[in-house]
Amino acid sequence: MDSKGSAQKGSRLLLLLVVSNLLLCQGVVSTPVCPNGPGNCQVSLRDLFDRAVMVSHYIHNLSSEMFNEFVSTVFLAYFQKKPFRSFIECPNNPNELNLLDRFQDKRYAQGKGFITMALNSCHTSSLPTPEDKEQAQQTHHEVLMSLILGLLRSWNDPLYHLVTEVRGMKGVPDAILSRAIEIEEENKRLLEGMEMIFGQVIPGAKETEPYPVWSGLPSLQTKDEDARHSAFYNLLHCLRRDSSKIDTYLKLLNCRIIYNNNC
Amino acid sequence: MDLWQLLLTLAVAGSSDAFSGSEDSSGNLKFTKCRSPELETFSCHWTDGANHSLQSPGSVQMFYIRRDIQEWKECPDYVSAGENSCYFNSSYTSVWTPYCIKLTSNGGIVDHKCFSVEDIVQPDPPVGLNWTLLNISLTEIHADILVKWEPPPNTDVKMGWIILEYELHYKELNETQWKMMDPLLVTSVPMYSLRLDKEYEVRVRTRQRNTEKYGKFSEVLLITFPQMNPSACEEDFQFPWFLIIIFGILGLTVTLFLLIFSKQQRIKMLILPPVPVPKIKGIDPDLLKEGKLEEVNTILAIHDNYKHEFYNDDSWVEFIELDIDDPDEKTEGSDTDRLLSNDHEKSLSIFGAKDDDSGRTSCYEPDILETDFHVSDMCDGTSEVAQPQRLKGEADILCLDQKNQNNSSSNDAAPASQQPSVILVEENKPRPLPIGGTESTHQAVHTQLSNPSSLANIDFYAQVSDITPAGNVVLSPGQKNKTGNPQCDTHPEVVTPSQANFIVDSAYFCEVDAKKYIALAPDVEAESHIEPSFNQEDIYITTESLTTTAGRSGTAEHVPSSEIPVPDYTSIHIVQSPQGLVLNATALPLPDKEFLSSCGYVSTDQLNKIMP
Repeated sequence: MDSKGSAQKGSRLLLLLVVSNLLLCQGVVSTPVCPNGPGNCQVSLRDLFDRAVMVSHYIHNLSSEMFNEFVSTVFLAYFQKKPFRSFIECPNNPNELNLLDRFQDKRYAQGKGFITMALNSCHTSSLPTPEDKEQAQQTHHEVLMSLILGLLRSWNDPLYHLVTEVRGMKGVPDAILSRAIEIEEENKRLLEGMEMIFGQVIPGAKETEPYPVWSGLPSLQTKDEDARHSAFYNLLHCLRRDSSKIDTYLKLLNCRIIYNNNC
Repeated sequence: MDLWQLLLTLAVAGSSDAFSGSEDSSGNLKFTKCRSPELETFSCHWTDGANHSLQSPGSVQMFYIRRDIQEWKECPDYVSAGENSCYFNSSYTSVWTPYCIKLTSNGGIVDHKCFSVEDIVQPDPPVGLNWTLLNISLTEIHADILVKWEPPPNTDVKMGWIILEYELHYKELNETQWKMMDPLLVTSVPMYSLRLDKEYEVRVRTRQRNTEKYGKFSEVLLITFPQMNPSACEEDFQFPWFLIIIFGILGLTVTLFLLIFSKQQRIKMLILPPVPVPKIKGIDPDLLKEGKLEEVNTILAIHDNYKHEFYNDDSWVEFIELDIDDPDEKTEGSDTDRLLSNDHEKSLSIFGAKDDDSGRTSCYEPDILETDFHVSDMCDGTSEVAQPQRLKGEADILCLDQKNQNNSSSNDAAPASQQPSVILVEENKPRPLPIGGTESTHQAVHTQLSNPSSLANIDFYAQVSDITPAGNVVLSPGQKNKTGNPQCDTHPEVVTPSQANFIVDSAYFCEVDAKKYIALAPDVEAESHIEPSFNQEDIYITTESLTTTAGRSGTAEHVPSSEIPVPDYTSIHIVQSPQGLVLNATALPLPDKEFLSSCGYVSTDQLNKIMP
């Protein structure tokens, strides 16, 4: 009798363990368990999206702060020491001549629009991302998701090199380096999550979309200090912009897929 | 790329809020702000300062340019956003695209700015602010409510195009400062524990998440609660501070009284410790009044034990009254120091005080001491010129007999010449004084007190055995009586080790010898530490309290190895020069023939010749 009782107890325990495992594993993002079948994991997808939105929000915050800090410390410190004339080409329009006087103003470096258009465009500009709400609304969520994935993948390499170069740069505050490292990690995490979401939203889809390759490493390593500082500025500005795009697209997808446009 | 060069210059020169055409020369025409309320459209505003009336309308133009449209275009809508503004509707708006705008007046660029649309989002205020009652407390004094609002209507929050963050402010109606709650992502928030009898105000504002700028505040919502139950608002529970204070005071008072009047001494001591009363040991003034000197004396004697003892031992020793010339010296150092200190000043002073009848007693010791002690107060000490009268009659000078025995000739000789004498030979350190006993360790301090006038014929030798704290010098009877130490027998010898020869057994030293000794005094001093064998007993001052080791050792070490018996006392005739002492050398079989005849008492003139 005892053996039977103990066997029953053992089996009950085992069952309990299995069930608890199943339940506990529900919340794990990395290995989603779909009790309702492979194509219908609404619960886990919600969690995935919540997590992804949180991470993208975090990345956007970090990149904004990093950009602001870079501009107000390293960039400003550098350009305060030199006149702008060497950096700016002379305008052809005589009406603009009076602007040359303002080049000496040290406040130029302040403000987020500094050299916004003067510098090269971002390496991700080739991606056909929607630029306003109507365009975004008309973009299919698959396209949107692949765009997000392309953006995330294309930033892997530049972020890695950004960390390396910032580390080797003198006079850079620790906050910038720590944020760069953090962004790089979070970017990888978000990429993983997005790949998972993609796998769930579009099961069976292959993501072999090519993503833009970054080729700005030489300009980050150049000896020309002017070019180097402007390359950093450009990179951080593009990072901030692209993180804002990713954040917006994810929110859009979240409301569309999970909440049915009723956030 | 001329256009881009232009753009470059514009981009570099413009865009920041800090720099918005403040250096413009043509009035105050400049951009005030560009704003997008919902990330779909945006508008830019400018001011034209004070020159509005002067400028012809329409001369102000605004142009914009985008990277993808590489040319300047004029503002599409000058009207929709109001005066001095430019409105870009959704077709002209492209998010994440850099824009540059410029303001021209009569063709000249007045201001310029560069931005991206996602950086200038500033939502409109929320709408539909209202509240609902959640519940009321049992006491019907507090209530919880839920405040709700709607996002700005133009923002597409449902689609998730823009995520808004809200900030609620609230305050009571009569307050001036708004309190704010933490930012929220939802459009409702509960407020707890509002008082039913008070009115509140609430307002909300919003901003896009991840941006810094808030939009304007919504309209203020007034929250008033209908009077539910008049009776419920009558009483207001207030903490009964008054009662607590009263009872507290009462309790404390009761406790205090119990403690004071209780017999628990321990607790009483703990809480109310007794204040120590100053206790000064002193003389009961009543005793003084009653004239009971005996008791008073005993009291005083307690503090001066030694003197009392001494008196018991040697009652026949008289005190010698000394004059004090220099009141300042009373406070110097110890008694020993006073005795043994540099004699020069004192000798001078002694010389000065030749009218020794003064007998001043300037000590602090009152005249309470028994008179049979013959206390002449000797104030701190320095033994000085003695009162000859007393000395004569009273001093029992040690070894006087012996001296007379030993140095009868000297005694005879001494009176022969009238020399102002005297000094108290004091040694605390090896001094150029004749000291040094060979074997005897008792080298008495020579206290030769003599009044030049009255003691012309007598030399007094007395061993100072003690100096009281009060400063009286206590002369002791011959140590031979006490210890049998033939102090009187021994002859102090002032000899340098190198000159042991010339001193034999005379009590006195020739001035030559003295001179030599004095000259060698420094050497002696240096050598004073060589002979530690002589010992421990006081050479000068027999009493323990006054011995100084230096004196002791110094004096002891002066003893030459030759061990020539030397007299105890040597009268010293001080030469006026402060540089040394000259001892009387009388009846000494001195080899020095030069001064044979002159040994003895040397006249002052002779001394002056000899001594520098």
